[in-house]
Amino acid sequence: MNKILAIAQKELKVYFKSPIAYIVLISTISVFNIFFFLIIDGNREASLRDVFKIMEFLFIFIVPILTMKIFAEEKFSGTMEFLMTTPTTNTAIVLGKYLGSLIFFTLIIAITSSYYFIIEFFSQPERLATLTGYVGIWLEGALFIAIGMLTSSWTKNQIIAAISSYVILFLLYFSISFIKYFSGSLETLVRYIGTWSHVENFTVGLISMADLVYYVSGILICILFTRLSIENRLWH
Amino acid sequence: MIVVEQVTKYFGRFQALKDISFEISRGEIVGFLGQNGAGKTTIMRILTSYLPATSGKVIVAGQEVSKNSLAIRKKIGYLPETPPLYSNMAVRDYLTFAAQLKDVPIRQQRVQVDKVLEECSIESVQYKTIGTLSKGYKQRVGIAQAIVNDPEVLILDEPTIGLDPVQIIQVRNLIKSLEHKRTVILSTHILSEIQQIAQRVLIIKSGEIIVDETLESLLREHESNLEDIFLELHSAKEKQ
Repeated sequence: MNKILAIAQKELKVYFKSPIAYIVLISTISVFNIFFFLIIDGNREASLRDVFKIMEFLFIFIVPILTMKIFAEEKFSGTMEFLMTTPTTNTAIVLGKYLGSLIFFTLIIAITSSYYFIIEFFSQPERLATLTGYVGIWLEGALFIAIGMLTSSWTKNQIIAAISSYVILFLLYFSISFIKYFSGSLETLVRYIGTWSHVENFTVGLISMADLVYYVSGILICILFTRLSIENRLWH
Repeated sequence: MIVVEQVTKYFGRFQALKDISFEISRGEIVGFLGQNGAGKTTIMRILTSYLPATSGKVIVAGQEVSKNSLAIRKKIGYLPETPPLYSNMAVRDYLTFAAQLKDVPIRQQRVQVDKVLEECSIESVQYKTIGTLSKGYKQRVGIAQAIVNDPEVLILDEPTIGLDPVQIIQVRNLIKSLEHKRTVILSTHILSEIQQIAQRVLIIKSGEIIVDETLESLLREHESNLEDIFLELHSAKEKQ
């Protein structure tokens, strides 16, 4: 457990020593702010529902930039050899790295919580729906990060890692658009795998077991595959 | 301390190590000699459990590497060929991180880091970002990382590469000072270095050990210096 925290702490230190952290943080928040203003100004409604949808869409672009270096950089610079020859289990390495990125991502989400206070100042937003909406997009981001971490563990090239996670995230996000080509149980499956319907429920105040299972199992599967992938030395 | 029994390693179809066996006892300093691509790094990676051997047995400190790799990793300090450094971390932060991962008790982490900073004479750069350091400093930070947990076995892959003559002497003295306390395995291209530090030489050629002798007897047998012996062995094999 101590080692997981040590790795997470190191990840954050390295993030904040490089300009990427600040660029991602500032540009993300700026873009969110613009959309927040446009949506609230256009809708004239005290709800963050549409803001959440935009945030979800933007995560597809932001998360891979955040996650592409998680393992690819370590492999490229040779520090992977250091990590894997210390008495640290592969599970601790993966969990530590995941936790580090998750904390950074949570920071972004935490900053956007100001949106709630802004709209609350002017009107009475639905507290519960806002809260569940935040839970929803946080889970969505957590899943995206797990996917990004997995693709990063496949290669030592950060660009390949980023593009692979873009492909997977796009497929998950836009799968709903192809739903009409499927029927029967396949249709149900595609609908379930896509991220669209899951966040939707959270933003209207619904937390269902199916959605929670979707995110939690998705995250766990990615973590498990990442662990297997770094264990397989043939990939080096 | 280290027993290697009939180890082979394949990378795909390429056989990197061919049935290698040797033993190293506690407190010995052993030099691996060989041309580039001879298999020195591969042996080291197998000893540190970074790579699994295709077949054969590796025992370090009485435990088999493939079965107890975590326990063994605690006892090994390893400096890979390229020092494994995080370029935008400060030296001290990095060494503390290494100490945390290598199970140095929290209370001793500070003391241990101070100690290795001094031993490797890098105290003056401890708050500097690693990426801004010269190659010699980076190499010494790499060595500091390897000895931060007082390992029983120290495996150094070309530890003096890229250092200036003064630093080379410092590193050699550092390694020499570890004699008797630790088992040290180092690889190098610099033959004179082996002569100065090691007690025993393993010459590796195309994945095979062609010489395993104490330095003294090797030099006595051939009545020449190590460089001539090395060249002679390599050309002799090529002629065959």
